[in-house]
Amino acid sequence: MSEDTTKASVEDIRLRAAIDRSVRYPVLFFFTSAAAWLFVATVLGVVSGIKLANPDFGPAWTWLTYGRLWPLHTNALIYGWGMQAGFGLMIWLMARLCRTELRNSVTLLVAGHVWNFGLSLGFIGMWMGKGTSLPWLEFPTFVWPLLALTYVVISLSLVQMFRRRRSGSLFISQMYIIGAALWFPWIFITANLLINNEGGSAVMKAGINAWFMSNLVYFWFVPIALAAAYYIVPKIAGRPVHSYPLAKLGFWSLALFAGWTGFSRYNGGPFPAWMTSVSGAATIFILLPALAVWLNLSKTLAGQKKLADHSPALRFTSFGVLMFGLFALLSALVGFYGPGRLLQFSHATVGIDTLGIYGMFSMVAFGAIYFIVPRITASEWPSGKMINFHFWFSSYGILTVIGFMLVGGLAQGGAMDRWNTDFIASVELGNGYVIGRCMAWFLIALANLAFFYQLALMFIGRGRKSEGPTLIHAEGAKSSAEAAGITAEGGAANANA
Amino acid sequence: MKNKSEFSQLACGLAVAFGLPWLLLVVVPYVKLSAIEPQAYTEADGVEGLVAYPAKQIGGSISTGERLYDSLGCAYCHTQMVRPTYAGADMWRGWGGRKEGGLARETRPADYWGDSHAMLGYQRIGPDLSNVGWRRTDRAWLLQHLYSPRSLIRESVMPGYEGLFTLRKFNGQQSDSALKLEGKFAPETGYEVVPTPDAEALVDYLLSRKKDAPIPGSGNPAGDEAKAAASE
Repeated sequence: MSEDTTKASVEDIRLRAAIDRSVRYPVLFFFTSAAAWLFVATVLGVVSGIKLANPDFGPAWTWLTYGRLWPLHTNALIYGWGMQAGFGLMIWLMARLCRTELRNSVTLLVAGHVWNFGLSLGFIGMWMGKGTSLPWLEFPTFVWPLLALTYVVISLSLVQMFRRRRSGSLFISQMYIIGAALWFPWIFITANLLINNEGGSAVMKAGINAWFMSNLVYFWFVPIALAAAYYIVPKIAGRPVHSYPLAKLGFWSLALFAGWTGFSRYNGGPFPAWMTSVSGAATIFILLPALAVWLNLSKTLAGQKKLADHSPALRFTSFGVLMFGLFALLSALVGFYGPGRLLQFSHATVGIDTLGIYGMFSMVAFGAIYFIVPRITASEWPSGKMINFHFWFSSYGILTVIGFMLVGGLAQGGAMDRWNTDFIASVELGNGYVIGRCMAWFLIALANLAFFYQLALMFIGRGRKSEGPTLIHAEGAKSSAEAAGITAEGGAANANA
Repeated sequence: MKNKSEFSQLACGLAVAFGLPWLLLVVVPYVKLSAIEPQAYTEADGVEGLVAYPAKQIGGSISTGERLYDSLGCAYCHTQMVRPTYAGADMWRGWGGRKEGGLARETRPADYWGDSHAMLGYQRIGPDLSNVGWRRTDRAWLLQHLYSPRSLIRESVMPGYEGLFTLRKFNGQQSDSALKLEGKFAPETGYEVVPTPDAEALVDYLLSRKKDAPIPGSGNPAGDEAKAAASE
């Protein structure tokens, strides 16, 4: 690594420090409360799984049944952890890429508190049985305007930063963030308005619900994860993104196809057949952006894959990008009628949802958080061992969850497709895998406890004060030059463009 | 200035890419399908009047039951959607409605008329409920199954909704509505389990699930049973 790519000018360093200071409070707030919600979500993942496998476990209170706990788990995972971690990522990345300070950090902090307040109200409401039972849109009706409003405030401040930007070129990460900032309110408000309209078509409400679920993943979780990956991989590799046109192709193909997905969840459902078919086909076309991203990032990292041994950020991010590929592949598979008839409504489809949110998005978000927080707190992570623990328990845990749910889904769905087998056979065949999935969620819960602990230490200013970054297997890092490469802030020309 | 026009260009591109599916896949079908009204039968159908839908009234027991179905999260394990034969074995499982008269069929948009939203469902841990009103006609069975599923189906993994029932002491004669629980599922002697109005409402809702009305103008003459049901 040559001197001039790792050494930034004094002014650059000052500017970066000023930017990091300006976003510090909102970003840290979003990350820490996200990590707390994540821990709640994973614990609910374990408990809801136990109640699904054995409903007689524990007292027979209605608020402890699977039908109440499962939506709490998914909502804590999506709106509590996922979206808040995403807000933190969007704000920091946008400020850095635009090379501009955040002017309204108080507004964002207030927005963050309102978001958490809305979530908590919704959570209690669902627990008491006021939920809508429409997956991922379960919050009682009065909650969504509050969330939509908060989101718009956050979006506006991102757009403001973008319009004030100092750097000339348009980075691919910025495109993804602007996309996510503008698409989500559109999707969220459309879905809620149409579903809550009393006179609307009952069937289309269910269809729009499915459309919302897949659009939330493709138009929010995927763009944020890719924005972070397109920032972090080149930074750590110390070279620009391999091909800008390829990155743009990935972006626009996602933008073109993702809006058509979703209805294939109800293949064979009470919709005009073209709707489910178009959705299935669009899901297959999503393979194109997935391939573009994978190719681009692996070329960017070519020859330097070893960096992932030491850099937590790169290791989590690479795993997440790989999982995006797997997610796109499995989703495309279920979009076909053949595999779809076996896996539809089985544990497998739920497993694929989980893969998108935890395997893909969350892993990239972890990587980005490990990268960002030392910069905004000016201290290092307390323990590399704990990061290593977080990585292995998370990645092993999520792969096990997915494995159990795919195989369990195949067993369950296969039994259901044999019309002359008793229905109850599909329940019995699926049940063992539910127990396996619970155990895997338990590993993930442990991993996230470690993550939350470290993040909380950083939050209260108890990070490690040190010159060098926290690495995994620090003693194994061959030379200080290599270690420097891991956290080196290349010049603006070097990163991302 | 350049920044601003670049932002507008990007925003326009994003809006067009997403606006097209938003309009064609969501808004237009929503408006069109919202206009569905109960259809009249033709002479060839052999049925009088309009397609019959559950007699749902605001504040009535079916609508209370529907709200409970949402509140308890039944849709996480039960679908209400029968797939055609190319997309699944649902109809062979007898989920397509009455078998007599060859009327078992997949569900279609008009079947959900009157539902506040179609509970198409999320997973199938339990069986499809589109036509449970035809399969399970015994009120007492449904009530007992809600209270204690495993007293009727040993391998079931459905939670028992004890909150929908009252456990109370009785003197002398048991109430008529008390559940007939046996063995280890029975309450202590001198106690009985009676359904609350909520449990009754949920059962009313389940009994109203009959999504197989003969299709007007389909040229598929209705069987006697269907005729009787449709003109009820």
